[in-house]
Amino acid sequence: MSIDINTILMYLLYALVFPGLLFSSVFGLWLAGVDRKVVARMQKRIGPPIMQPTYDFFKLLGKETIIPANAATTTFMLAPYVGLVSLVVLALFIPVGGFQAFGGMADIVVVLYLLTIPSLSIIFGGSASGNPFAGVGVSRSMVAIMAYELPLILVLLAVSKAVSGNGMLTFSLEGITTYQKLNGSLLFDWRLLPAAVAMLLVIPCEVGSHPFDVGEAETEICEGPLVEYSGAPLAVFKLSHAIKMFVMTALFAALFLGGIATGMLWLDIVIALLICTVVTIICMSFLHAITARLKVEQVFKFFWTVVSGLALVSLILVWIGI
Amino acid sequence: MSMQYYQHFPVLSIMILFLGAFLVALFHKSRFMRTFITSVAVIGSFAMMIALIKPVMLNGEIITYWLGGRVPDGGYAIGIALEVDAVSLFFGILVSLAVLLSGLYSFRYTKQDDARDKFFTLYLMLAGGVMGIVLSGDLFNIYVMLEVMTFAAVALTAYRSWNPNAREAAFKYLVVGSIGSSSVLLGIALIYANCHTLNLAQISALAMSKMNPSMLLAFALLFVGFGTKAFMVPFHPIAADAHAAAPSSVSVLISGVFTKTGVYGIIRVCYFLFRTMGMPAVQTGVVLIGSVSMFLCVTMALNQHDFKRLLAFHSISQIGYILTSLGLCTALGIAGGLYHAINHTLFKGLLFLTAGAVLYSTGTTKLEKLGGLAKKMPQTAALFMIGAFSISGVPPFNGFVSKWMIYQATYEKAMETGSIGYALVTVLAVVTSVLTLASFVKVGQSVFFGEMPIEYQNVKETPASMLVPMWIMAGLCLATGLLPNLMFKYLLGPATGAVLNSPAYIDSAMGAGYAASQMPDMSLMADPVIVFAGAWKPLSWLLLFVIILAAVALASLMSKKRTSESGAVIDSKHDTFFGGEENTFSQVASGDLFWGFKHNMRKYLGFMSNAHNGITNEYVTWGVVDLAIIIVYCFIFI
Repeated sequence: MSIDINTILMYLLYALVFPGLLFSSVFGLWLAGVDRKVVARMQKRIGPPIMQPTYDFFKLLGKETIIPANAATTTFMLAPYVGLVSLVVLALFIPVGGFQAFGGMADIVVVLYLLTIPSLSIIFGGSASGNPFAGVGVSRSMVAIMAYELPLILVLLAVSKAVSGNGMLTFSLEGITTYQKLNGSLLFDWRLLPAAVAMLLVIPCEVGSHPFDVGEAETEICEGPLVEYSGAPLAVFKLSHAIKMFVMTALFAALFLGGIATGMLWLDIVIALLICTVVTIICMSFLHAITARLKVEQVFKFFWTVVSGLALVSLILVWIGI
Repeated sequence: MSMQYYQHFPVLSIMILFLGAFLVALFHKSRFMRTFITSVAVIGSFAMMIALIKPVMLNGEIITYWLGGRVPDGGYAIGIALEVDAVSLFFGILVSLAVLLSGLYSFRYTKQDDARDKFFTLYLMLAGGVMGIVLSGDLFNIYVMLEVMTFAAVALTAYRSWNPNAREAAFKYLVVGSIGSSSVLLGIALIYANCHTLNLAQISALAMSKMNPSMLLAFALLFVGFGTKAFMVPFHPIAADAHAAAPSSVSVLISGVFTKTGVYGIIRVCYFLFRTMGMPAVQTGVVLIGSVSMFLCVTMALNQHDFKRLLAFHSISQIGYILTSLGLCTALGIAGGLYHAINHTLFKGLLFLTAGAVLYSTGTTKLEKLGGLAKKMPQTAALFMIGAFSISGVPPFNGFVSKWMIYQATYEKAMETGSIGYALVTVLAVVTSVLTLASFVKVGQSVFFGEMPIEYQNVKETPASMLVPMWIMAGLCLATGLLPNLMFKYLLGPATGAVLNSPAYIDSAMGAGYAASQMPDMSLMADPVIVFAGAWKPLSWLLLFVIILAAVALASLMSKKRTSESGAVIDSKHDTFFGGEENTFSQVASGDLFWGFKHNMRKYLGFMSNAHNGITNEYVTWGVVDLAIIIVYCFIFI
């Protein structure tokens, strides 16, 4: 296999600039800003400037990092970085407007599992801080993961079945995108509509946004796992949170609205990013503004009954082949 | 064909372990001799298995070794044979690796015990018994080895006999396990009555033409018998007791090796002896048992308060994955199941060894009593996390690859058969996986992180001689996860092919053409070509991870660093945040974690803990009822 310098540089550019580290950070922080602004406007507040999360990020970078005496230092300090990096790698695998920097490396099941690494980094980081608030937060975050994993796999399997024809099963994201390019976006397939709604509800739970933010409930347990974090590690966690918004909404766009093709790649990408923004507003800002936080057991129950039910309906509809 | 030197390796690798057992008993007074003999035996056995990779795995040879040179005479295999095909060797490697690593660990681990010579005698007997099972080509020989293995395991369970739990666990094990042993014996008797031979290969060739109700009964009996050894549901409670009470290095063997003989037995019974795995009814049955074991045991594990009991339930849950995958009877399913078998041995071995290290350092494995050990035992904590990530299927560790294959295999099966039931098995497997993760988050939070009780202030890191085998296992967990291609080339590909190719196994023992002459309509059950539905490139992922990590590290190096750590005296800046209250010891107890989950599942979980009441009579009843159900199932559907 011959590797020339241009290819390497191109891949480095993908990994570090677009759609990798730099772009996903900037766009993620922008999404977080949009989210805050929209919530504020819905609550008749003026709200922070859209760049506020970005300013916050740099502000936190400049602050002192305090390592609590009870913390297991290595895990405490490493966890945020591992979470951030694995999230950025995941962003590389998800097609944005049909553009996929690194194709053929990860399928939807891999994406499902890679998504747990950032959550785990928060859980183990919080756990390592030795704080009882964090302990409660860890427990709650894990329950949230248990809650959304069931509907998420049902959604993914329904999508996979819908695009697999002639007995050939495909889990690959390319396969899903290609199918939608040929047959139209899956959102407009009525059988998958319940699954799309389920996915829209999974996104805020995965990202940890209202009303499913039981793990970080500021007013109850002082941001749970993040309670002892300060300075750069906290900035990294906030950044990861923002990138997660991008990754999850981009995943939604790829799974359900992957059929949009104008023939111009840059336009496709811009449309996909717009979809990301709209999805953020619908499933995060909107829900955030109109709901109060659920209790832990309510979150679990809601996801294993209502949301899973929706996804299961889609799965069954797809299976009986209407 | 002239005898190659390596054809003696199978018998030698069994003999060296048994010989070692007797020599250790003979030289019981000398600690040096004991250590030396045990090391030679376990290393020798492992080295011989590795040496067989080239001829068996790569060149596709099947080694048939007739003990005493008694080759088949007059069309009947009278002598005892060892027959090593890729399946046997696969399990042989897995067994000897686990025996080697946990043996090395035991030298230091048993330091606080007395009668250590008896420990190593029994240890080597157990190892020899297991090797005998996986390498043997004779059904009765397998039974004898099964008994050797079981009795050694029972004795080792009760090794710390000052502990009443250990004695009780051993008793339960003996009583409930005897259901399995007796059904295996009865099954063998029925087969012998019908086929007049005990040679696996010959039975395999004759069984189909001699199929009658008594053979069907024999199938059901053998399936349940080996299922008992794998601790499939409903035989799982004895495993939990045994693992919790046995010394950790023995738990590694019981979980990583003993249960694998059950899996191996089920493969031999279903794919070779009776070749019933092609039947949809058998597939449904095995997948059903596997899925139930998988889910039921993970929910039991979530409810445990003891590190080792928790691991014990996980071990059966993982066996459930393996059975589910093997029951699909597709190439991908078999490969995924075998992959998970080797992964399970590695990560569960690692986790049991970390549990042992915690027990060694603190004297307890009760989750409620522990906490914050990562500060005192950083390496053990790191090893635990590697094991926990592997078993929960976090990429890029090994558990992920095999689970990923199992999901694809079950979903492909669903597509192939058009049955949504298999799709639900996929969903169940994913849910089981996330529950597995949850229970290890619980262990992490209550043992290694959180606040440390004051009595562990002087706990020391695990000794190096125990850390080395653990690091090797951790390294293998990562390597088998990162290099699936090598795993396929050297282990899984040949083993999967062998599982689906029983005629070659028959011909190697009985002479070329025997399979064709006895079974004119034989056909392979499935195409041994593995087709993936998706893609996972662990090395590329790792490369990208390293590149981006380097970029992030560079960026954080360039920024000014202001980090403040606590001094010897803890000031309010570095003290744990309590919302302004005074700091009191307040570790979140493991039983209180995941309340949101437990509250919703309280009826199910309550029912389950009531059912597992520890009464031996009830467990025996479960076993007998299960046997009856499986026999009836076989008679109705096959």
